[in-house]
Amino acid sequence: MPIPGIFLALQMSAEHDDNLALRLQRRDPEAMGDLYDRFGRLTYSVIVAIVRDAALAEDLLQETFLRVWNQAHAFEPGRGALGPWLLAMARNRAIDRLRALDPDVRERPAPSVEPALFVDMDKKVLNTDHPRVIRSAIAKLSLDQRKVIELAYYEGLSPSRMAERMGEPVGAVKTWVREAVKHLREALGQAGAA
Amino acid sequence: MTCEELRPDYTSYALGIADNPERAEIAEHLARKCPDCTRGMASAMATVTAMSGAVELTEPPARLRRRVMGTVEQTPGRQWAGVVVPWAITAAMSIALVAIGLSGRRQLGDTPKLQQALSILNDPATRDVTFGATGKASQGRVFVNPGKGVVFIGANLPRLDAGQTFELWVIPAKGNPIPDGLFRSQPDATAVFVWPGPVENAMAVEVTVEPLGGSAQPTTKPLIAVKP
Repeated sequence: MPIPGIFLALQMSAEHDDNLALRLQRRDPEAMGDLYDRFGRLTYSVIVAIVRDAALAEDLLQETFLRVWNQAHAFEPGRGALGPWLLAMARNRAIDRLRALDPDVRERPAPSVEPALFVDMDKKVLNTDHPRVIRSAIAKLSLDQRKVIELAYYEGLSPSRMAERMGEPVGAVKTWVREAVKHLREALGQAGAA
Repeated sequence: MTCEELRPDYTSYALGIADNPERAEIAEHLARKCPDCTRGMASAMATVTAMSGAVELTEPPARLRRRVMGTVEQTPGRQWAGVVVPWAITAAMSIALVAIGLSGRRQLGDTPKLQQALSILNDPATRDVTFGATGKASQGRVFVNPGKGVVFIGANLPRLDAGQTFELWVIPAKGNPIPDGLFRSQPDATAVFVWPGPVENAMAVEVTVEPLGGSAQPTTKPLIAVKP
């Protein structure tokens, strides 16, 4: 499968993210445009894939970018990973909106995405290879593992909710999640956390 | 629980799917800046970020870039998230404004948002409630449509510091408040704010003052709390 051009652009421009973060901190409006040009399409795609509502996705994207604009002062240029931070905020907002429709999960908002969690993150995490690697890795998962990863990423379902949805024991679901994550992390060359 | 015990659940936490007690334990470790958990969570966040590579790409509409740029080009300072609708020169919105005693009309600048607001205002399923009273207290009206969203119209809103914003919350029948957008008032202490999207099972709508950028949960006592 060919790699979308957007990821090539992200790889080529990764070294400029530090400068972009600095410009955001200086309240340079053009930096917001550059941020959008760099990550807007991917961010919109992630949100749409979750909420499946184009109008709502536009609102959530706008809010996400403005949250980044307003919180840029807390970011550490040179150490932080701007794109991953933005994408995490976008996904969490989308998941929160999705959960607003499900009374059983409202007590569990998505975790906060403090900039500190993106310090020293591999800035090439969005580079050319990752789409190919992650798609290949997902394709190699068992059907159950793939299902739970999709329910986790796109719907933010907890193992207990997945178990209800799939009609399977919670313990089995937790095992599939951990195994799937382990396989994905191995494929991405990441060690440590599961 | 120890960091080692929590390690297997880092990525579940980063995905937002971890159950308690692991979820609460990891949050507690992160809150006290546990170096092992912070490092492990950064790695887990990288995994979740990489998963975006599997998302089917969708082209956003061209107007979206203009929307994003438009909200930061208004002034050089920090801006608010969400959608603040200028006064509308329309019958329905005028009725709503008159109903709460607000005056003045401003140039319409965001037609899609206005249309969303009017769609909510004109829907028979929309419930509305007035808050405040005459005098110096904040006053206004909140319209809630379970399938379409919330329209907040307020006047006499308190002045915010440069590092503050209003945040609107929908209070569900069960669970924690749901953040539904940030907004700031106009210089005349009024605000019209639209949050589009389903708000089913909303038991109340609240507005709090939060740090710029918003909060995941309210950190101050509600300035406004209504039950539509």
